[in-house]
Amino acid sequence: MKDVDTTQVYPRDPRKTYGLMELVKGTRPTVGLDEDTVYAWPHLLVRELVIFLVVAACLLGAAFLIDAPLEEIANPNSPPNPAKAPWYFLGLQELVSYSAFVGGVLVPTVIVLGLMLVPYIDRKRVGIGVWFARERWLANGLFLTFLVVMVILIIIGMYFRGPNWGFVLPWEATTGH
Amino acid sequence: MQAPTPTPDKRTAVGMFFESVYRSIFRYGRLPRDGEGASYAVFNSLFLHIHPVKVAKHSLRFTYTFGLGVIATCLFVFLTFTGVWLMFYYFPSATEAYGRMLDLRSAVDFGFVLRNVHKWAAEAMVFFVVLHMARVFFTGAYKPPREFNWIIGIILLLLTLGLSFTGYLLPWDQLAFWAITVGTSIAGYAPVVGEPLRRFLLGSDSVGQEALIRFYVLHVVILPGLLSIFLAVHFWRIRKDGGLSHPADNDTPAIKE
Ligand code: HEM
Repeated sequence: MKDVDTTQVYPRDPRKTYGLMELVKGTRPTVGLDEDTVYAWPHLLVRELVIFLVVAACLLGAAFLIDAPLEEIANPNSPPNPAKAPWYFLGLQELVSYSAFVGGVLVPTVIVLGLMLVPYIDRKRVGIGVWFARERWLANGLFLTFLVVMVILIIIGMYFRGPNWGFVLPWEATTGH
Repeated sequence: MQAPTPTPDKRTAVGMFFESVYRSIFRYGRLPRDGEGASYAVFNSLFLHIHPVKVAKHSLRFTYTFGLGVIATCLFVFLTFTGVWLMFYYFPSATEAYGRMLDLRSAVDFGFVLRNVHKWAAEAMVFFVVLHMARVFFTGAYKPPREFNWIIGIILLLLTLGLSFTGYLLPWDQLAFWAITVGTSIAGYAPVVGEPLRRFLLGSDSVGQEALIRFYVLHVVILPGLLSIFLAVHFWRIRKDGGLSHPADNDTPAIKE
């Protein structure tokens, strides 16, 4: 009766109703990956800790070096010219300056819906897990174009727009009131 | 690793007491040195168990993720801590708020550091969340079975923008006031729903005390609460989707790394 090896890696602790089932070496049949894995502790957790500390150090460094802006107290009777939205909305504000409907409604709606539809349109399982897979040139190209256009619009809004949303060169810009 | 069997000899009663307290908290000993210990360390900790016991080497390569999602998570953690700390000094009133900002600069010890960390972490979070999204796109990581986690991600992006935008008003300086005036007027351009939406956000025709209290509640309770919930779902989905995307997820094994 004793000839079958019933040794468990994790003998069931009678006081517990749950447990880690087993650890396996070699290929896991359930997951199609090569067993090319390492333990989360320490490999993943140490990396996360390092990132955490680097982020903390950068934030503290920035906080001591650069002060967050603070202008005069809000005055509803004295609008700055131009009044600018936060930087991440400046692309939309730039579009609004051509057409309120396009910048305020059409483009934001298309962006959000478009982004949400992405994984349901582009479903073919090719090029997963590598940067800029050649098979994905079209999708990657479109997305890169989208990002570049947004960045250009934001930069125009940030540095090239002066009084009455007129075009200015950054080094000549003055903010009127 | 041994099951926790204390060896009674040579130990003082006090030492054994501390040992048993330690074991009651951590159960499986000190820093794990072997596979079993490493598994238990992750498996038995509330804070670590969102991680799998083992991860693919591919996911750990820095040049795969550039740590962008983790950076965004860290920024959110720092923002939460500094944000709660700022709440001790801040007062969401159109007559008080600006003065509190000046206090942070002069009257509160290291108040300027506190405000600056919160401000720069907030700007960085928008930036890194967008970079993380770009990483996910360019590595095809939104493809099945991860479609829904991409959707959760978009919701996280919108919540991040909402947090940044609502926080922008709180200092109640010229920058804040006019940026929110412009930003909310963009929302007002939508046909039919635009104007009611704008008034709902501002609680009035224009930016004033009502808008400040609405933005404040959104900023310190509602949006961070929602973001925490969706972030939990985001992480849980990563586990359920079999960890991070990996070339083995492709139908055709054409791609060799
Ligand atoms: C608050 C914002 C967000 C946080 C804190 C966050 C956090 C994370 C973390 C920590 C990971 C693990 C992998 C990594 O570090 O890159 C991850 C993976 C992922 N995220 Fe996010 N994320 C956020 C927003 C987004 C957005 C905006 C998207 C896309 C629209 C997104 C889609 C995904 C997907 C699909 C994965 C799985 C990636 C893979 O399997 O390779 N996340 N996220």
